[in-house]
Amino acid sequence: MNVPTEHLLILAAVLFSLGALGFLLRRNLIVILASVELMLNAANLTFLAGARAHSSVGPLNLDGPIFALFVILVAACEAALGLALVIAFYRQKQSVDIEAAAELRG
Amino acid sequence: MASPLFYALSAIAILCALGVVIARNPMQSVLNLLGSFVALAAIYLLSGFQFLAAAQILVYAGAIMVLFIFVVMLLNLTDREEGQPILMGLFNGRVIGSLAVFAGLAVSGLISTTGNFAAVDASAHGGDLDNMESLAGVLFSKYMLPFEAASLLLLATLVGVMLLAKRERSGSQGGGQA
Repeated sequence: MNVPTEHLLILAAVLFSLGALGFLLRRNLIVILASVELMLNAANLTFLAGARAHSSVGPLNLDGPIFALFVILVAACEAALGLALVIAFYRQKQSVDIEAAAELRG
Repeated sequence: MASPLFYALSAIAILCALGVVIARNPMQSVLNLLGSFVALAAIYLLSGFQFLAAAQILVYAGAIMVLFIFVVMLLNLTDREEGQPILMGLFNGRVIGSLAVFAGLAVSGLISTTGNFAAVDASAHGGDLDNMESLAGVLFSKYMLPFEAASLLLLATLVGVMLLAKRERSGSQGGGQA
């Protein structure tokens, strides 16, 4: 695939921005978690773009794929724990709207 | 040669990501996220990361998506969400802050294009940039400690999720008695 590394980085930047946008704009906790997953995916793409750029000349660079693997693992943990929290929150508030969690607002 | 495919997949990934943000229904949001994951997995495959593409499909599109869809269906949010405005007020600080994030990252992306446009040769190493044999060799030698820490993280998550579920049940029983 003859694509410049910059284009992969731009794709990652756009995906991260969309994830950040969803994280900041949406009020549904599940959609907020989905936006976090989107941002982690963008981070993964950045790692892989870097690994690809460094592997094209010289020896195989495996740091990028390894870190992407760890990011996937952390994303899985985050999703499991986050969704468990969403369910616990829903049981208490009968809602997944972040506006329902305003006890700590000053 | 494979470039048009890459740009088509990028367009799918971006459109699906946009769908995650603007979809009214949480279920549509989550299904758009699935589309984005699959498009990204195809991009990984095109870039020469075959194992990572498989892991992306198995872990993200498989396990994490099932978890999301399960929770959305369990909570049955589709009819609760209707009628509520999705976005908060249009010109509050949150919108301006997020637009600033978006603009900043878009500008940084555009600036990065002013560098050299050298196409990376993906055919190096036989087009296999994450050969599983060498990946395992590195993972179990150089990255042994992070690997062990990752297993500890998984265990802690497992215990944490179980504790959350258990505590919630005893808490609701206590609430029912009082």
